[in-house]
Amino acid sequence: MHNDQGGKKLIAWRIDMTYAVMIILLGGFAIRLYDLQITQGEDFAARADENRFSALSVPAPRGVISDRNNFLLVQNIPIFNVVITPALLPDSLAEIEEIYRVLSSLTGVPIDQEGEPATRCTPGRGILQYVLEGDSIGPFDAWPIACDIDETTARIIREAMIDMPGVGLEILPVRDYTTGKLSASFIGYMGPISELNREFYEDLGFQAGRDKVGYAGLEGVFQDILAGRNGQKLIEEDVAGQLLREVGTVLQPTPGNNLRLTIDTRLQAAAETALAKRMEFINRSKGENASPIGVVIAMNPQTGEILAMVSLPTYENNRLARFIPQLYYQQLAADERGKPLINHAISDRYPPGSIFKLVTAIGALNEGVITPTRELFDPGKITIENKYFPNDPGKAKDFVCWKRDGHGDVDFVHGIAFSCNVYFYKIGGGFKGEIDSGGLGIDRIGWYAHALGYGNQLGIDLPGEEDGLIPTQDWKRRTQGESWSTGDTYNATTGQGYVLATPLQVLTSLSTLANGGKVMWPHLVKEILDGEGNVIEAIERCVLWDISDNILTPASEIGSNCNSMPESLRPQYDVTPDLIVEPWVIEQTQIGMQLVVAEGTASEYAQLEAISSAGKTGTGEFCDEVSQEKNLCEPGNWPTHSWYAAYAPYENPEIVVVAFVYNGGEGAVTSGPIVRQVLEAYFAFKSIDAANRP
Amino acid sequence: MHARSRMWRHFDVWLLASVALLTIAGVAMIRSAIAGNETLAQNVPRQAIFGVVGLAIVVLTAAVDYRIWAALSRPMYIIILIFLALIPIAGRVGFGSARWFTVGILNIQPSELAKIITILVLAAYFARQKYEVQSTKILPRSLLLVFLPASLVLIQPDLSTAIVLVVLWLAMVWAVGLSLKTIGIFVLIGLVALLVLAPFLANYFTVDYPQEEDFFFLQHYQMQRVANFLFPDPQERFGASYNIQQALISIGSGGWLGQGYGHGTQVQLRFLKVRHTDFIFSAMAAEFGFIGALGFLVILMLVVHRCLRAARIARDLFGALICYGVAFLIFFQSAFNVGMNLNVFPVSGIPLPFFSYGGSSLISSLLGIGLVESVILRHKRIEL
Repeated sequence: MHNDQGGKKLIAWRIDMTYAVMIILLGGFAIRLYDLQITQGEDFAARADENRFSALSVPAPRGVISDRNNFLLVQNIPIFNVVITPALLPDSLAEIEEIYRVLSSLTGVPIDQEGEPATRCTPGRGILQYVLEGDSIGPFDAWPIACDIDETTARIIREAMIDMPGVGLEILPVRDYTTGKLSASFIGYMGPISELNREFYEDLGFQAGRDKVGYAGLEGVFQDILAGRNGQKLIEEDVAGQLLREVGTVLQPTPGNNLRLTIDTRLQAAAETALAKRMEFINRSKGENASPIGVVIAMNPQTGEILAMVSLPTYENNRLARFIPQLYYQQLAADERGKPLINHAISDRYPPGSIFKLVTAIGALNEGVITPTRELFDPGKITIENKYFPNDPGKAKDFVCWKRDGHGDVDFVHGIAFSCNVYFYKIGGGFKGEIDSGGLGIDRIGWYAHALGYGNQLGIDLPGEEDGLIPTQDWKRRTQGESWSTGDTYNATTGQGYVLATPLQVLTSLSTLANGGKVMWPHLVKEILDGEGNVIEAIERCVLWDISDNILTPASEIGSNCNSMPESLRPQYDVTPDLIVEPWVIEQTQIGMQLVVAEGTASEYAQLEAISSAGKTGTGEFCDEVSQEKNLCEPGNWPTHSWYAAYAPYENPEIVVVAFVYNGGEGAVTSGPIVRQVLEAYFAFKSIDAANRP
Repeated sequence: MHARSRMWRHFDVWLLASVALLTIAGVAMIRSAIAGNETLAQNVPRQAIFGVVGLAIVVLTAAVDYRIWAALSRPMYIIILIFLALIPIAGRVGFGSARWFTVGILNIQPSELAKIITILVLAAYFARQKYEVQSTKILPRSLLLVFLPASLVLIQPDLSTAIVLVVLWLAMVWAVGLSLKTIGIFVLIGLVALLVLAPFLANYFTVDYPQEEDFFFLQHYQMQRVANFLFPDPQERFGASYNIQQALISIGSGGWLGQGYGHGTQVQLRFLKVRHTDFIFSAMAAEFGFIGALGFLVILMLVVHRCLRAARIARDLFGALICYGVAFLIFFQSAFNVGMNLNVFPVSGIPLPFFSYGGSSLISSLLGIGLVESVILRHKRIEL
């Protein structure tokens, strides 16, 4: 039975083989372990750290904006959001319901209300829905259920939080625009980082969803300067995203820099009041919203500093500060006529009317088309015959002066003073028998228009500056499919027809003539300061080009001497707008403008007491859809935009103002008083400041 | 009585010490791997109780003459078959398959017990046929013995236990001395069968296969695991690939000496999933490092070695086969589990003997050790 042979024992070599297989396998495991733990150990340790550490962005405070007198226009204030961290809520459903009930009664957010999923802080759903959504995305993250609650409620909730695990109070900074609507058109507003440029901003350290960026105005253009740089904190989290501890601060947040503007808020308010009252008066007397748009800009012609910039209608940027309310935004965007989101001072273009006569004026004098003393006859109406049918009176066209019985014999300065159309038709487009050379002609009108700042951007430090339009013969061929006619030149000399300009360009033309020929870079930022108020950069004034300096600045060098001008704003020119204009030409034009106020078109409306000023009125005919519907677009019956631009004091100008009222009628009547009020306010504030200065 | 006390001189203290060490270390490791999870916290005392009961079972089983099991092999076989057959009807469903009976607070997993009983049944069968081991008829007959419990386990479905049973059979056939020619023929048949099946299976193992369809006895998740092993997706944030990625990070972050007991970041911050069961080796490697993991493998090898030593010195073929079977069972399960943790084998539910959480697995492993001790105690005939 117990035979040693066969079957009693296991075969020894087969057990040995088993050992061999085991040793090989274990050896393999040991090698693999060595590879994982020793060779790749550091890599895996790094990946383990990557698992548990994450960087938490620490928001940098955004810079504030003040006006030239250090009055705060934009500051940061805290808002309070009630947040719930779903994972930290109590286990018992009854306790959770009690928490929801308390929060609902305090904040007014319903407990249970279905609604469309939307971005953070969009109201419309119940607490339950916000928490459920948050729980499914990140149970250890804090999810807002009520945003921007008032401070008192926030205090009550803070007290009650002790008994409400999972409930928190999030304090976020938001922009407070102290002057709101008054400065919205140039201050702008902020909004969330859109999906489109998310990557761009995230590379800069912004956190989409939390951080906002400038959308419009100075908030937009100076985004980089105002925003600062977010800091970074290293935190340790478990797999569910629960914060375990803060490991340390990797990067301290760099606060944004502050801006000090050239704007004088008092003047801004005075200008706004003057313009709004005037528009209101027109609209009330006409019984409709006849003049939806108005602009006032005030600038120092010596420095290019913008002192006031009013664009009506505008919007309340405080309403866009916390989140952008869809309804309000749609309402603003839907206003086709007023376009309140647009800064009409720089982003909209209109026929400049008679202010454009100054272009023809300096051109004709400088080119020798006319001499200052030579008088031309204004019969009230001149007729030009059709080029192709010279003897057919039916095809001839009449051009009338605004004064139907004419100004009689008119010299240069009185041509400007009375804004004599016929005088400018003749010197601009020529007139058989008197100006046989064909006048200045459209090509040269174009040169001089560009020389005064028309037809191109000026590089103002705001977004969306428009070019305007100075038509050429070539332009008409291309876009209208017609040849240029003398009539077109006549229209152009008076700023009608195809000529379009932004109010800023109109202002610049006046400013250039006022300061003796220097086209200044218009700007709103005076200084960039750090958090402690130290000036980091003082914005230097700069001359884009000077028409009186006997030097032609090449197109490529325009703005090259403007050290403070952000590169992105630098205007680009194909051909230099600079010309060489004799100083006496500018002087004669100034005399003409002084006469406008003294005895000319603006004399009854825009004269200042005790302070000399010079200006030019403009009444720009236009035809828009509204007037077309009313059959107003007939010759002699056209509606008109009202313009007036003036500078003071005449001898040493320190302020130049333009006022524009859409469909405002006569230039002097409507806009004259607005400009006068702004000038009066300016000098009143100046004397107050002088009295207050120790 | 005198003979009895003399017999206990042969008790393998080394073996008992090693498994006790592994069991205690296992409980400690489970305690760390719980990582503050409250629902899992009760598993620590449970496993400790199972460990104490299991070590008592080692002594009790050692006291019983193992040859009694040869006589009882038939009724034991029938009872375990009945239990396995009852599982789909009365069993508790866990993770998509029915594997447990719930008796009071205990969840009994008969398939774990089936491994030990299969060893006993096969050992008894081969011992009875010891003079005809070269006969070709014992191959299909013994295979049939394994096939019945294996197919019952497979329909639970529990593919890994079924594989363990079949491999166990293969190992015992090898050890009992079946001729190489017969084994060769059998392996050839197996290869041909695989080649015939392969084209059908290939269809299911493509990366973009929806993998929601079962293939005969293979569940879709089982195929998915194999597919994940063959074509891992490194971007995955959850699921099997994520688990194995986290396991590798855990092991790798251990370095030479580990991050320290209770301080493995991957473990304590719960990046590592199923830490206390399938991936407990990773948790240990993270907290005790290369030295710890290697030490663990050495102790495990010591257990296997003591069992194989018992297989060599056993007084009869039945005892030798029991010892060989237990040694192989422990080694195979350990190797498969560790290999899975190291991402050299696909993910499966095979436990790490003595170490990973699970009462049935621990008890049946210790039961196996008890049987080996019983064989050692009685390896000298004279002392009878």
